[in-house]
Amino acid sequence: MKKQYGKLLVLLWAGLLAWIGILTGSARAASILKVGLLEEPKTLNVWLASDTWSRKVLGQIYQPLYVREPKELKLIPWLAESQPQYDPQKICYTVRLRKANWSDGTELTSEDVAFTGNFIKEFKVPRYYSKWRFIDRIETPDPRTVKFYLKEPRAIFLGRTLTTPIAQKKQWEKVAVQLRKAEKPIASLMKTKIEKPIGSGPFHLRQWKQGAYLYLCRNEHFFAQGKSIEGMTLGPHLDGIIFKLFGTSDAAILALKKGSIDMFWWGIQPGYLQDLKNNPNIQLFYSEKSALYYMGFNVRRPPFSDATLRRAIATLIDKDFIVNRILQGNAIKMHSIVPPGNRFWYCPDVPKYGEGLTKEERIKKAFEMLKGAGYTWEVPPLKPDGAIQPAKGIKLPDGSPMARFTILTPPADYDPNRAMAGMMIQEWLRMVGMPAFAKPMAFGSLIQQVKVRRKFDAFILGYGRLSLDPDYLRAFFHSRNNRVRGWNMSGYTNPEFDRLADLSAKAMDVQERRRLIWEMQRIIMRDVPYIPLYNPKLIEGVRKGKFEGWVQMLGGIGNVWTFCNLREK
Amino acid sequence: MELRRYIIRRLIQIAIIFYVILTVLFLLFRLAPGDPVSRMVDPTMTPEDAQRLISQLGLDQPIWVQYLYYVKNFFTGNFGHSFHYGKPVVEIIWDRLPNTVLLFTTSIILSALVGVFLGKIASWHKGKATDAVLTIGALVTHTVFLPWLALIMIWLFGYKMGWFPITGMISEEVWLDPESGIFAKALDVAHHMVLPLSTLFLIHFGAYLLIMRSSMLETLKEDYIITARAKGLSEKVIRDKHAAPNAALPVVTSVGLSLAFSINGGALTETVFTWPGIGRELVFSVSHNDYPLAQASFLLIAIVVLLANLVVDVLYAYLDPRIRY
Repeated sequence: MKKQYGKLLVLLWAGLLAWIGILTGSARAASILKVGLLEEPKTLNVWLASDTWSRKVLGQIYQPLYVREPKELKLIPWLAESQPQYDPQKICYTVRLRKANWSDGTELTSEDVAFTGNFIKEFKVPRYYSKWRFIDRIETPDPRTVKFYLKEPRAIFLGRTLTTPIAQKKQWEKVAVQLRKAEKPIASLMKTKIEKPIGSGPFHLRQWKQGAYLYLCRNEHFFAQGKSIEGMTLGPHLDGIIFKLFGTSDAAILALKKGSIDMFWWGIQPGYLQDLKNNPNIQLFYSEKSALYYMGFNVRRPPFSDATLRRAIATLIDKDFIVNRILQGNAIKMHSIVPPGNRFWYCPDVPKYGEGLTKEERIKKAFEMLKGAGYTWEVPPLKPDGAIQPAKGIKLPDGSPMARFTILTPPADYDPNRAMAGMMIQEWLRMVGMPAFAKPMAFGSLIQQVKVRRKFDAFILGYGRLSLDPDYLRAFFHSRNNRVRGWNMSGYTNPEFDRLADLSAKAMDVQERRRLIWEMQRIIMRDVPYIPLYNPKLIEGVRKGKFEGWVQMLGGIGNVWTFCNLREK
Repeated sequence: MELRRYIIRRLIQIAIIFYVILTVLFLLFRLAPGDPVSRMVDPTMTPEDAQRLISQLGLDQPIWVQYLYYVKNFFTGNFGHSFHYGKPVVEIIWDRLPNTVLLFTTSIILSALVGVFLGKIASWHKGKATDAVLTIGALVTHTVFLPWLALIMIWLFGYKMGWFPITGMISEEVWLDPESGIFAKALDVAHHMVLPLSTLFLIHFGAYLLIMRSSMLETLKEDYIITARAKGLSEKVIRDKHAAPNAALPVVTSVGLSLAFSINGGALTETVFTWPGIGRELVFSVSHNDYPLAQASFLLIAIVVLLANLVVDVLYAYLDPRIRY
């Protein structure tokens, strides 16, 4: 009897091993790209998706009228056929559509575009409404022409409104009917489940096995298939994309090394780099991001209401140390609020505080700035012979001692770089006698403290995905936004900046707007309510040898150009 | 009769405790830093847009109004929709729960069976090499840091040897293949389960082994064991029929409660192995202030644990005739 049990066990074990062999040895016939994600997309409802993972998937399904080309980041027609025609008399843009179809084979028409805009406006769809609220009406004279009438000229129309994903009227009309009946339409919209999104992008949803993978198939109706745009003959040349989920970077990187995935669509941390650099099967891409990590001040109250003090602090901060030592060289220094990778809008001639100075020179310069503004010390940071000494008892120009202040940072388990940068800044400020204390705080509390309670001295925060349109300058620093939950967290108020910001918002001439945006950057970097610190590089890894045609642009290789251009070797 | 009165008394206690938990959970999430809207906004969203969203989610109501809605919704079986998934939380929980129960229940039962068996052996060979090896082995595996062990398992058996999938619960090769039958799919899940199950087994069996060993050593000092020996019964019969069933009682309590707690999964295990269970959802919902999902998950855990306590107590009375309520 025991022998029989033994045989059965051996048979079961052999069966399991054989199955393992079948699984590991199974070949992939179709040309399918396997992409590793760290989290599961939360929804396929394009109007609800607020997480990175849903947007990565939905970006392959829903398409806008215009997209940024990869080299100069200029807006080029996508679902549109040509550049929009502007009639300044009527404040009207006319957009002519390409011949395009939805993934269900039906034609994409101007009705779909108008429906999308009207849907966003009617239901005040969060995250999109601010880009459409200034549209007065949308007309569709024929199936391939859309006319947008604006209430007033708005510069973000081109870069933000026309880059909104277009939804199919047929699919969303039923939703709109339901929402009109709902007591709380936004809440109802957020509960709307879309199981099979119909899009006009290069791929469409084939299967979503929740918790495991999401499979997108090639959209045979994709308008750009076989077309040459920006020097690329677009596909998609892939049969599909499978998004696989990994709970940790460790597991995803092992899967990449093993060949279980072809691309890990997430920034690789410096700790993994050496290992991956030594792996002949892995190719790494180092890209600039549209990101900003910065130190902000509460300029509503002393001592940071004094711009000289803020400039002195900017001078004391050693950005080279932060970039080279804390971020191990995987970042670039920031001197303006607009990232340098956003070449068109980045103003290169802003003041670069402390640039190229040694530690002693920075202390001397900050000391001179502060002394000139009336600050005094019990023990100044410079001895009479010019040598550096530990400073003590700094006093404000009115003679009162500078009170202890805190620099709020996210905790090290949330972002070790920002927590460490806070500690280093604390030390640099203490060199001139400032009673600075870095205080890591839970991210949610930090945001509440800065945006809602507004009781703070200084903070270090960041934006990982800044829009390519620089209208955020207006959001961050216009005095109108200096209110609870407003984006002007520093409480910065400058009528001249407000004037330029309002002009820039209405400047429809791109060169004129650039001039205004550059001037706004100069003003901000003169008054420094924020000190830009760094912009981390995005490092992404792919398998060599199987696919070619990766397109690198600001924000990395995970973009519509890559997925339309990629093909099997 | 006494038992029935005891059960009724306990059910009333459970109802009161549950109501307290219901209230504490509500307050905990409202008092926690951050708000759900802060995760959904970007610089293009005006404060008015944010306020509109808050209002539509009902988060601008006074806290006591929110509480009344919360209690009413609970008692009418309406657990709400997840802020992030946009789906009813019940649907999300029912999606994830079977995966968690499958992995964790299997691991607990397996660990308990092996732990009891080895604990029995260790106590029987007290002071000998077998006891030393088993006890030290149990202590070592039980105290290993779970994510570290999990990563080592993934690296060794998933990456280096390539015997098992690195993470996940299913392979797309099998599930996308129209020719794959139910048997192939079941085997695929089993294949994916080997590494997380082995890791959980290694971490947990030691605890049961140590409980069983300690309980068994106490039992072996009892008079009825001496009586059994005096009757001339074989050592195997004394160990397996007389000592072990009595010594296993503390393990029953432990297993009962572990089974109840297993429905919350293990955030660490599920994260490292990308096991699509409820533990990962709990972490996500708490960290993203997804109140409806977090509250419903915790309430489910609370009710199961409270009822499991009752079941264990009743089971105890059934297994040990000396215990009467």
